Amino acid sequence: MVPPVLAALVLATGVACSSGDTGSDAGTGTSTGDATTPSRSTATLVVNASFVVKSLDPGTVYEATGNTAIRAMYESLLTFEGSDITTPVPDLAESFTASPDGLEHTFVLRKDVTFSDGTPMTADDVVFSFNRMQNLKGPGSFVADGLTISKTDDHTVVVSSEVPKPDVPIIMAMSQTAVLNSAVLKANGGTDAEDAATKDTATAFLDTQSAGTGPYTLEKFDATSQIELKLDDDYWGEAPHFPRIVMRNMDVQAQNLSMSKAGDNEIAIDIAGPLLEGLPAEVHKSGAQDTHYLLMASVDPEVSSVTANPAFLKALRLAVDYDGLVKLFGIGANKAAGLIPPILSGALPESEAPSTDIEEAKRVLAAAGLNEPKVTLTYPAITRRGVDLGTIVTKVSGDAAKAGITIELDPLPLSAFLTEQRSGDLEFLFTPMPLSYPSATSRVNQFEPGSDTSMRSRWSAEAADPSVAAAVEKVRAATSVADYTTAIEEWQRVMNEHSPIFALAVGSSFVVGSPNLTNVNYSPAGWSVDLTAVGAEAGNG
Amino acid sequence: MADAPSATAVGGRSEQEDLPPARTRRDRPLLRFVLRRLAVTIGLLFGVVTVGFVLINAVPGDPLAIHLSPSALDNPEIVAAFEEKWGLNQPLWQQYLHYLNRLLHGDLGTSQRTGQPVLSNLMDVIPATVEIAIPALVIGVVLGTTFGILSALYRGKLLDQIVRIVALVGLSTPSFWLGLTLLYLFFYRFDLLPSGGRLSPEFEAPPERTGLYTVDGALHQDWTVVADAAWHLVLPVGVLAYLVSVIMVRFVRAAMLDVLGQDFIRAAHAKGLPRGVVIRRHLLRAGLVPVITMSGLMLATLLTGSVLVETIFSWPGLGQYVFQSAGSLDIPAVIGCSVLIGVVYTGANFLVDILYALADPRIRLS
Repeated sequence: MVPPVLAALVLATGVACSSGDTGSDAGTGTSTGDATTPSRSTATLVVNASFVVKSLDPGTVYEATGNTAIRAMYESLLTFEGSDITTPVPDLAESFTASPDGLEHTFVLRKDVTFSDGTPMTADDVVFSFNRMQNLKGPGSFVADGLTISKTDDHTVVVSSEVPKPDVPIIMAMSQTAVLNSAVLKANGGTDAEDAATKDTATAFLDTQSAGTGPYTLEKFDATSQIELKLDDDYWGEAPHFPRIVMRNMDVQAQNLSMSKAGDNEIAIDIAGPLLEGLPAEVHKSGAQDTHYLLMASVDPEVSSVTANPAFLKALRLAVDYDGLVKLFGIGANKAAGLIPPILSGALPESEAPSTDIEEAKRVLAAAGLNEPKVTLTYPAITRRGVDLGTIVTKVSGDAAKAGITIELDPLPLSAFLTEQRSGDLEFLFTPMPLSYPSATSRVNQFEPGSDTSMRSRWSAEAADPSVAAAVEKVRAATSVADYTTAIEEWQRVMNEHSPIFALAVGSSFVVGSPNLTNVNYSPAGWSVDLTAVGAEAGNG
Repeated sequence: MADAPSATAVGGRSEQEDLPPARTRRDRPLLRFVLRRLAVTIGLLFGVVTVGFVLINAVPGDPLAIHLSPSALDNPEIVAAFEEKWGLNQPLWQQYLHYLNRLLHGDLGTSQRTGQPVLSNLMDVIPATVEIAIPALVIGVVLGTTFGILSALYRGKLLDQIVRIVALVGLSTPSFWLGLTLLYLFFYRFDLLPSGGRLSPEFEAPPERTGLYTVDGALHQDWTVVADAAWHLVLPVGVLAYLVSVIMVRFVRAAMLDVLGQDFIRAAHAKGLPRGVVIRRHLLRAGLVPVITMSGLMLATLLTGSVLVETIFSWPGLGQYVFQSAGSLDIPAVIGCSVLIGVVYTGANFLVDILYALADPRIRLS
């Protein structure tokens, strides 16, 4: 709000300067109603975010900002409540069941759901939306790899796979599988045909107008500055607290400064790590450990004879001062026992995290014949979630030196780093690794020998220890939750022993909310915070 | 030519002689100047596009790695669809020719970062930049010129010393530091000004006519929006105006001191002309011509965006757009911005040349 003195001054200046314009406006037919209708809204929820958004089309969404906005406008068959991403709960579906062999998941749809234009939602909309997302082959469509969907009747759909897919309920809770109004989309260039990647033109439409069942509709979308959402007065479910949401593109330091004032009705999405420490105690801070910070060593002797020796990584694990390192990551960070973050079932307990033993590290190096090994560590020169990655690798380099390992640091701009790491030519690299989607299986797929991620270390299926492939197979064959959890734990232990991937620590992402807000919960599901659930204390927002 | 009908003689003079002489392009120095500059501008823009295209593709960075997640990169169909969509599966020379072809049809391509036409993105961000650039230029030039003149006239006096110190401090102050400090003081400590953005969230942007919120608000007589938009302008405009003014001060002071030492000024004084007349008629007319050049360059610099100031004040202008596009290797957006910046600079220089010629009769357009 403008301070009264300044407002009066500007107002007076504006009125004085515009006296000649009034007549011409009237003459050109400008509605005088504009002059009297206040454009001020009430109770706007403001979300400050460092924008990463390409589109507000659920079929192509992958980026965090878009995901958060889409969650408020669209709904999926299932959803997650608050920060819990282990248990999908019904949303547009009223119930769901899995076949004993894990090959089919049946979803019974609610019958009272309507889109924002009043059209009832049916199974046809669900099938259309799912197939369109798959065939668009957008950045987020990998979540539906190996899945097919079919309609049993107007209110029942079945998702099938050729191999057991225990994470289908998780996939059906994600923004990518949101249900769109098929009639509206088809009328605006949408198609779910196999050639949708080249023929579908509905994304441009969805960037101007939403077509979902969610409580908010799109008012304005500017990918560089602001997204405005307005409450749908005819929403089929229980209406959220705020009639309007404004998401603003804001630098993280400005977010921090803004939240430091602890005003009302404001949320910041990018404040994390050390930045949290300066915030007032009364602001809400909600986070979850969802990002690993990894070291990856090349296993190819042609790239590096040092890192290709498994003893190098083994010694380094023993040399790192984990307690000191975790402090650098700030609030919400922890030692990493395995490659599954603690927010997912199957994560290894912290007690299994490696501990420091410099003498043992020296012994391992000596036994392997690695005399004063020297490597170059390449990393992206960025600050992520308030953590300067340069500080982290400097600490690692210092710790390694105590065991006789020399690590030379090679910072690269992010774009150059992303390209270089894909080349597989780097000797040793450090990178943050957030979840692709909230499932342990996504991690298993991501780090499978021969995958794009693993090939950064030239860790192919042929180069990997056979025990790794066996552990992956066990995960994929599991049909019960208990078997799956056990298999995931075992896979991590095998990876710790035989993979060139070393999880240094696990860090947290956060959302920060004004003291008057309620239900400001960080969600690792991709949408950071469920804006439809955010409320305000009575009489305070 | 011999068969051409001869002019009929009337009263001893031909018709041709009665008519005013036909003006040819040779007789129109301004037209010739404009045409020549247009030709040069087209050549320059072609160079900008070509160099921009080569450089952005020479930068070590793979758009696939930047725009797709690790999981998506594992899916060959997604990778193929991305390459197909953005033409990355074509040889570079073919991509270049396609880009040129689209450019000739007024299509700057589609931004890989925003998924929207680059031209549309630019039309969104340019008004925001213009809204801070023009007031900053006007305020900066007026203040800088005024104090530059005063500083020169009172050379060595207290006023001169103060102006020079302020200008030196301003030139030595990084814009991001100044911006953050002012933000801390006026937003965080004193709560007088907003943290950033163009409008408070509780206001809706006025219906777009010009894209300038203050102007659009005034056109719709929505004075609360005008006041709020003006309130948001204070800090970014203040920082930019200060940076412009300190450059102008030093420039104008040097130009004035140079003129003050000229013989014609001494002669004017020797003739007994009052000091005010000497300043107005001789000093300012001669000394302020270079200010036009400087102002033109300043305008071009401000219009092509101030990355740091726009970032600090969350100002959705061209500077932020260029910065974010470059950071994400958004090739169409970066080249589109290069073309725009080329147009702005050549346009500003063109304008300056004309104004220069009009202001100083000694300078001939030819």
